[in-house]
Amino acid sequence: MIRALGVALALAAIAALAMIVAGANPIVGFFALFRGALGGPNQIAETLVQTTSLLFPSLAVAFAFRAGLFNIGAEGQLIIGGLVAGLIGARLNVPGALAIPVILVAGAFGGALWGSTAGVLRARFGGNEVIATLMLNIVAALLANYLVVGPLHSPGATGAETAQLPESSWLPTLLADTRLTIALPIAILLAFALRFVFDRTIFGYELRAAGDAPEAARRAGINLARTAFVAMALSGAMAGLGGATIVTGVLHRFNVALSPGYGFIAIAVALVGDLDPLRIIVAAFAFGILQSGSLTMQAYAHVPKDVVTFVEGLAIVALAARRFVAERAKTSPA
Amino acid sequence: MRAVQGVDLDVFPGEIHALCGENGAGKTTLASIAAGKLKASGGTVIARGVVGLVHQHFELVDRLRVWENVVLGHEPQRGATLDREAARERVNRLSKEYGLAVDPDAVIETLPVGIAQRVELLRELARDPAVLILDEPTAVLAPVEIDALFATVRALAARGTAVLIITHKLQEVVSHTSRITVMRAGKVVARLATADTNVDAIARAMVGGELPELAARRETIPAPVFSMHEISAGESSLAVRSAALEVRGGEIVGIAGVEGNGQSALADAIAGVLPYTGSMELDGTPIPPGNPGARIAQGIRAIPQDRRREALVLPWSVIDNITLGDQRRPSLRKGGTLDRPAARELARTIVERFDVRTPSLNASVSALSGGNQQKVVVGRALAHNPRLLLAYQPTRGIDVGAAALVQSRLIEARNAGVAVLLISFELDEVLALSDRVIVMYRGAIVGTFERDAIDRARIGALMAGAGLAGVAS
Repeated sequence: MIRALGVALALAAIAALAMIVAGANPIVGFFALFRGALGGPNQIAETLVQTTSLLFPSLAVAFAFRAGLFNIGAEGQLIIGGLVAGLIGARLNVPGALAIPVILVAGAFGGALWGSTAGVLRARFGGNEVIATLMLNIVAALLANYLVVGPLHSPGATGAETAQLPESSWLPTLLADTRLTIALPIAILLAFALRFVFDRTIFGYELRAAGDAPEAARRAGINLARTAFVAMALSGAMAGLGGATIVTGVLHRFNVALSPGYGFIAIAVALVGDLDPLRIIVAAFAFGILQSGSLTMQAYAHVPKDVVTFVEGLAIVALAARRFVAERAKTSPA
Repeated sequence: MRAVQGVDLDVFPGEIHALCGENGAGKTTLASIAAGKLKASGGTVIARGVVGLVHQHFELVDRLRVWENVVLGHEPQRGATLDREAARERVNRLSKEYGLAVDPDAVIETLPVGIAQRVELLRELARDPAVLILDEPTAVLAPVEIDALFATVRALAARGTAVLIITHKLQEVVSHTSRITVMRAGKVVARLATADTNVDAIARAMVGGELPELAARRETIPAPVFSMHEISAGESSLAVRSAALEVRGGEIVGIAGVEGNGQSALADAIAGVLPYTGSMELDGTPIPPGNPGARIAQGIRAIPQDRRREALVLPWSVIDNITLGDQRRPSLRKGGTLDRPAARELARTIVERFDVRTPSLNASVSALSGGNQQKVVVGRALAHNPRLLLAYQPTRGIDVGAAALVQSRLIEARNAGVAVLLISFELDEVLALSDRVIVMYRGAIVGTFERDAIDRARIGALMAGAGLAGVAS
């Protein structure tokens, strides 16, 4: 935790430098950032909305990572999940109480399908999941755009989006007049469930073995191909579920721009959270603050929002480097 | 902690000096310092000329030819280009001068290890060293090749080269050297004149006490357990070809052979991680191919050759490593979840019975010494009454105490009726433990010896390829 604080402080210092370079006063900038994120009930609610949207793909990335798979396709899986949720929600009139569960499950299923595509490539042909998931991000974005503008265009929709979902399929809010919905407790519940799966179940044990020592796992009777497939499918399902909650809880329709890169920021969140589901909740909140405060910062302190993106990018590089250095230290001869 | 501390060592011209010690005693570190490849934090190295070092794991460029490797770093030049003819000529001359026959145009990766070692030796000799250090030079050689190597070394010493041989094979030390320095835990603990000492005394100095005794073998009535027929697996020079063997319950069958003669492929085929043709049976029922998990459930357990990569999950705790492979065993699960108390209890039993020195059951196995890691692996393999135990170099790289414990547990498993298949590159280990010795050469089984008919010289000859003419014992 002390180390995490150190990382946070270092990043804050770099952010301050970046603000100075951008010609702004860092004190004013940080003040605006935090006021925008935590300055009142509405701001806090919006920060929690961002936290939620980050939490699903972050758990997805961490889940795959624990199985030894670098899923950088959470973005694509999230988009497909949102797309499926939006199309089903807007087109099929799912009756009343069933609407929300059906749409969420459908979104998760869409994400699972997208994730398992990379899983199949890896399991059957030994294809590299990094390249596969990265490329599938682009395919997902283009496919979504094509479908909502082209063949599945909704009559009422303007731009690259579906029609609005009927109100019966909107996620219930936790706080009136905000976009904060039950998606947050669902995400937190998912984190606890994952922690249980990793620590307590045979499935989680085998998944971690495959990730930490594939050759030993194989010799212990763990089917690596099947593990890779299942891990990618479930990882995709989590990201897809995240996309579905954005559609049903935040936008109430699918829009091709539903994600400002949640699936990519998720990689940093997962690494900051040390791939531990519970610590990822905290990390997602920290990144949620950045996400929701950055607009205020831009508006009031004239600090470009890109400063936040810049710092997030730095965090990814730094954390990836740390893991790489740790690997090297482990494998270098004594 | 320092790998080497306050060591003084003199090697005189014309002398063959042995440096002995257990794994981790600091021998290789000392050699690297002497050859200038490592920098010592204190002390001095004085040499009357170049110090050559022949590594335990060859440092050759596999894709290059012999002559290219030999001249690498000091290539003869004609103007700005490499003078190939001069280089090839130089290698031929060296090769003749030292009696190290080798084809200068052969590519390293196509050469058998014995020849590759000659190339490494030639490369060092090309620098005309005043001191030549050989780090475990016989680890990968067949007995005949070992004799040839020592002939070369003696010739070198006769010309005035100071030779330092690092080894843990004490028989070689006694037969070929004149003085012995013994190291333990980074320090010199004994300086001996070979003429005044013997193998036991050197071993005691290495271990720092009496050698642990092995468990006694008991009379058993062997019953058929495992058999395989016409097994072929693996690729090219490392493959196993049409091998058949049988291991009965209550016996240890030892496979003697130089590393790289198909032992790996054989072990992996039996473990179910390498595709093969042919058939295997356990207790009379055919074993389905390619499913390591099913084999574990049937009672086929393995001590893999690379414990850090193939046997253990290094960052995990002792407990979690002990259940690996048995995570689905009914006694270690509760439905779909792990039975933590049962796992802890099992780990406690194994740690006690195998004397695993660990700070706690929750400590990560990466913090354990190699010997203690190996005890975890062996303990796990024997924990659930296996039918067949496949032990691949079970004592490689571990200290004498741990090695004796592991060997004793293998004998006890045998006494209890387990079929044990032992693969080892240490002929002494094979001979000490086995009820039957099988010799492998180039992927084929070339000889079988019952315990009361073991002929060390004959086994050595077969390991070097003397059985190729079709001679069977």
